[in-house]
Amino acid sequence: MGANLFANYGEAVAMILFGIGFGNLLLQSNLIKKIIGLNIMDTAIYLFLAEKGYIDGRVAPIVVNGVQEMEAYINPIPSGLVLTGIVVSVSVSALMLSITIRLYRRYHTLDLDEISLRLKKEEL
Amino acid sequence: MDLVQNFPAVSILICLFAGIISSGLKGKAARYVNIALILAVMILNTCTLGYVLHTEEAFVYVMGKFPAPWGNEIRAGVLECFMAVFFCMIMLLSLLGGKKKLADEVEEGKTFLYYVLMNLLLSSLLALVYTNDLFTAYVFVEINTIAACGLIMIRQNGRTIEAAARYMIMSLLGSGMLLMGICMLYDLTGHLLMSNIKEQVAILSVSGQYRIPLLVTIALMSVGLAIKSALFPFHAWLPDAYGYSTVSSAAILSSLVSKGYIFLLIKIIYRVIGFDIFEASKIIDVLFVFGLMGMIFGSLSAIKENDVRRMIAYSSVAQIGYIYMGIGMGTQAGMAASVFHILSHAATKSLLFIAAIGLTDVSGGSRKFIDLTGAAYRNKWAGVTFTVGSLSMVGVPLFSGFISKLLFAQAAVQNNGKMLPALIVLGISTILNAIYFMKTVIRIYTPVEENKYECVTFSSMKLYAATLVCFIGLNIILGVNSQPIVDLIQQGLSMFS
Amino acid sequence: MYYMLLSIFFPILAGVFLLALREMKVRKNLLCLTGTFLILEAVLVILALCMSRGEMLLLFNLTDRLPILFKIDETGVIFAILAVVIFLCAGFFSFEYMKHEKSEKRYYGYYLIVLGVLIALCFAGNLITFYLFFELLTLSSMPLVLHNRSREAIMAGLKYLFYSLAGAYMALFGLYFIEKYGNTLTFSAGGVISTQTAEQHTALLLGIAFVMLIGFGVKAGMFPMHAWLTAAHPAAPAPASAVLSAVIVKAGVLAMVRVVYYIFGASFLRGTWVQKGWLVLTLITVFMGSMLAYREPVLKKRLAYSTISQVSYILFGLAVMDGDAVTGSFLHVLSHGFIKAALFLCAGTMIYMTGKTKVEELRGIGKEMPILLWCYTIVSLGLIGIPPTGGFISKWYLALGSLNSGIPGFGLAGPIVLLVSALLTAGYLLPVTIHGFLPGAEFDGNTSERREPSLFMLIPVIILTALTVAIGLFPNGIIAYLSRIITKIV
Repeated sequence: MGANLFANYGEAVAMILFGIGFGNLLLQSNLIKKIIGLNIMDTAIYLFLAEKGYIDGRVAPIVVNGVQEMEAYINPIPSGLVLTGIVVSVSVSALMLSITIRLYRRYHTLDLDEISLRLKKEEL
Repeated sequence: MDLVQNFPAVSILICLFAGIISSGLKGKAARYVNIALILAVMILNTCTLGYVLHTEEAFVYVMGKFPAPWGNEIRAGVLECFMAVFFCMIMLLSLLGGKKKLADEVEEGKTFLYYVLMNLLLSSLLALVYTNDLFTAYVFVEINTIAACGLIMIRQNGRTIEAAARYMIMSLLGSGMLLMGICMLYDLTGHLLMSNIKEQVAILSVSGQYRIPLLVTIALMSVGLAIKSALFPFHAWLPDAYGYSTVSSAAILSSLVSKGYIFLLIKIIYRVIGFDIFEASKIIDVLFVFGLMGMIFGSLSAIKENDVRRMIAYSSVAQIGYIYMGIGMGTQAGMAASVFHILSHAATKSLLFIAAIGLTDVSGGSRKFIDLTGAAYRNKWAGVTFTVGSLSMVGVPLFSGFISKLLFAQAAVQNNGKMLPALIVLGISTILNAIYFMKTVIRIYTPVEENKYECVTFSSMKLYAATLVCFIGLNIILGVNSQPIVDLIQQGLSMFS
Repeated sequence: MYYMLLSIFFPILAGVFLLALREMKVRKNLLCLTGTFLILEAVLVILALCMSRGEMLLLFNLTDRLPILFKIDETGVIFAILAVVIFLCAGFFSFEYMKHEKSEKRYYGYYLIVLGVLIALCFAGNLITFYLFFELLTLSSMPLVLHNRSREAIMAGLKYLFYSLAGAYMALFGLYFIEKYGNTLTFSAGGVISTQTAEQHTALLLGIAFVMLIGFGVKAGMFPMHAWLTAAHPAAPAPASAVLSAVIVKAGVLAMVRVVYYIFGASFLRGTWVQKGWLVLTLITVFMGSMLAYREPVLKKRLAYSTISQVSYILFGLAVMDGDAVTGSFLHVLSHGFIKAALFLCAGTMIYMTGKTKVEELRGIGKEMPILLWCYTIVSLGLIGIPPTGGFISKWYLALGSLNSGIPGFGLAGPIVLLVSALLTAGYLLPVTIHGFLPGAEFDGNTSERREPSLFMLIPVIILTALTVAIGLFPNGIIAYLSRIITKIV
C-alpha cells in the first residue's frame, strides 16, 4: 500500500487537491472562495489525467525523426481531454464570476448565506 | 448506410447552428426559428424512431473518420429516439404555454437570448440522449448546466440570481464528481466509448482486478448525476430555481434538464457499467434509500410550503425520489418503471407549472394560497388542467401518474428484499401528495364573495388554452394507452445491452 | 349490452354537461333537465339489467394485464337497483330542499356523476375496474360533501378524502399482490386464487386480505377507520347525506363482498385469523356506533353514527360466511339503504321546515307534520328490527346464520351484540317520535299549526317507507333471488 502510494504520488496529490477543492466549493460561503475551490477541483482532475497519461521515458507523439515503434510515444488522448476540460472549466468559471458580480452589485456582499437571508426579508 | 442514420447527428448540429443564427435575430424571429427547429428535430427523430423500430436494432453512427475505439460515436436505439421526440414535445408545449409570461418577465431586448439558450439546451439534451462517448457526455452535461443556468437567470431579480448561483454550485459539484469518475474509468479501461468500456469492465469484474477503484468510480458517477438531478438531500437549490424563474424555464428545468441527467445515468448503468455489475454494487441500495427519503421529505416540505410554485417544485423532489427508487430496485421492471416515470413526470410537472401560472395570473400575480382562492373560476381552463395534474400526481387511474405507481409497485412485488419499504413509502407518499395537491385544488375551487380580480376569457388566451388541452391529452394518453409505451421502453432497455 | 355502457356513461356525461352549462336564469329548466336525466338513467339501468346475459364487455386495456371490463352479475344487480331507487328519491327530494342553497347546478352535476360512477362500480367486472371507479367515487362525491363551502364542510371533505385515499391505497396494495398470485383479476365466484398458490403463500395472502378489508372498510365506516363518516355525512346537504349514507357507504360493502367472495373465496378465509379479526372489528363497530349515536345530540350526526353501526351489521353477516348470514347481509343492504335514506330525508325535512338541528329542540313536530313523523317512526322501527319491516327479516337472518355458523365464541356473541345494539337503536331513534307526538306538558301546542312539507319532499319519503315495509311483508321473492347468489359464493 505504502509503496504503491509513493509510486503514484502524483495521483495521490491530485486526489487530495480534489478533496480540498470539493470541500471549498461545498462549504465556503464566500462566492469568490467557492470559485477558487471550483478551479482547484478542476485542476486536480487535470493533474490526475496528465499524471495518468504520462509514461516515464516516452515522448509526446510528435514525429521528429520518422515514425518510431509504438512504445516510444505516450497516449495523446489524456492531453486532449485536459485541453477540452480546461475550456469547459474556463467557461463555467466565467459564468460563475458574472453571477457573482451581479449578486455583489445588488447586495454588496459576497456571502451567499447573507444574500439568502436578505432575500427572505425582501419577500418577493 | 441509410439516410435516416444521419438524422440524430444532424439534429444535434442544427440545434447548435440555430443557436448561432438566433443570436443575430430579434426576439420574434428567434422565436420562430426556435419553434421551427423543435418541430424539425421532432420530425427527424420520429423518422429515426420509425427506422429503428423497423430494423429492430440500434445503429451506431461514426462521427468523423476515426472508427471505434478511437473516434466519437452516436448511438440510436428505440429508447433514445423516443426520449428525443418526447423531450421536443414537452419543450414545445412548455414554451407555448409560457409565451405570454415570458414577454412580461424578460426585458424586451433580451428575449432572443432566451431562444438561443433554448436551442443550446435542446442540442445538449439530444447529445446526452444519443452520445456513445463518455467525455462527449461530460461536455454536453456542462453545456446543459450553463444553458439551464441562463434559463433561470433570464428573469432578472435577486431571487433568480441567487438561485442560479446555488444551482451552479451544486451542478458543478456534481459534474466535478462525474468528470472524476469518467477519468478514473478511462484509466481503468483505456477507453471512452461506452461499448468498449463495457467490455473492459466485464473483463475486470470477472478477473476481480481493481475492485475498489471500480466501485469508487461507479459511486462517483452515480452520486454526481444524482446531485445534478436534485435527488434528496441535494435539492436545496431546487425550490428557488423552479419557483422564481419564468414559467417556461421552470417547466423545462423540472421536466427535461433533470431528466436528461437521469437518462444519462440509466445509460451509464446499462451501457457503461453493465446492469449486473451495477446491481451487485452497494451503490444501488444507497440510491434506493435516498429515493425513498426523497419521496417522503420532498412531500413534507411541499406540505409546509405556502407558495404554489415552490410547492410544485418541492413535489419534483419527491418525484425524482420515485425515479431513483425504481433505479435502486435493481430489476428490469424497476428500471422500466423509472423510465416511464420520467415520461409521466415530465408530462405532469410541466403541465402543473403552466397551469399554476394561469391561476396566479388571475390572482394579482400572487402565489400565496390565500390569494388563489377561487382562481379556478377566474381561469377555468387553468383550473381544470391543474386538477388533472394534481389527480395524476396523486395517482388516480386514467392519468399517467397511476400507471407509473402501478409499474413501481409491480416491480417492488417482484423484489422480495425491497418490497415492503417500497410499497409502504409509496403509500405514504401517495397520501402526502394527496394532502397538498388536493388542498390546493379545493382552495382554487372555493368561491370568493367579492371578486377582487378579473376573469379571463377564452379569446384572450387561445394559445394558452390549446397548450393546456395538449398537456391534458398527453397525460391521458400516457394513462390510458400505456401498454405500447411500456413495451417500447422495455424494447429500448433490452436494446441497451 | 351497450345499454350497460350507456347506463354508466350517460349520467356521467349528463353531469359534465350540466357542469359545463352556463348558470340558468330559470330554476325550473334546471330541475326539468335534471329530472329527465334521472328518469332516463333509471330506464337505461333497467334496460341494461333486462338485456344482459352475463357477458363481459371489454372497454379498453389499461395495460396488458389490466383490462377495464364490465359485467352484470346478481350481486351487482342488487346494488345497482338500490342506487337507482335512492338516487331517484333523493334527487326529487332535492328539488325542494335545494331551493335556498347556492350553486344548485354544480350540485346536480356531481349528483349525476356520482350516480354514473356508482352504477359502474356495480357493473365492474374485475378488481382494477372496481378500483378505478372506487377512486372516482371518492373524488366525485367530495363536491357533495363540500357543497356549502363552510370551513367545517371543507375540513370534513378533506378528512373524507384522506381517509378514502388511504383506504384505496391499502386496497391497491392488495391488488399488486393479487395480480401476482391470482389467476386473474376478474371477479369469479369462489375466488381467483388456486389452491396450490393458496397453500404456498398462506400467511402472505391472509395478511393481504386483511389489509384489503381494512382498506375497503374505510368506505364502509368500519372501525378503526370510521372517523371521517360522522364528519362528512352531516356536512353535506340532506339529500346528499341520504345518498352518502345509504348508497355510497354500500360501495364499501360491495367492495368487501367482491374481495372476500369473488377474489379470495370464502373457503380460503373461513376459520382463519382474518375472519376472526374481521368479526371482532365489525362487532366493535356495531356496538361503538350505537353507543356514540345514543350520546349524540345533533340529529344528522346521530344518524351518521347509526350508519356506522348498521353497516357493520352487514359486514358482520359477510364475515360470518354462512349462507343465512350472507342472505341477511344482502337483505340489510337493501333495507338499511331504504331506511337510512328515508331517515336522512326526514331529518332534512325537519331541519328545512323548522331550522332546528338538535333532537331536544324538535318538540311537537308530530302536530305540525304528522305524515312525515309517521314515516320516520315506521322506518325507525324497521331499523330497530321490529316486524313487519325489512329490518326485522334481515336481522333475523343475520342472527340465524351466526348461530348456525358454529364459529366458537362468535356464534353466540354476535347475536347478543346485535340485540344490545338494537336496543340502543331504539334508544337513539325513538326520542324524536316521542318528543314529536308527545311534546310534554310545558310545550305550548297552540303555536304550532299543521304544515306538511311540499310533495317533492313528502313523496320520496313515503316511497322509501313503503319499500321498507314491502321488503318486510314480501321477502320471499328477494330471498329466492339471493339464494341464487349464495349458492355460488358461499
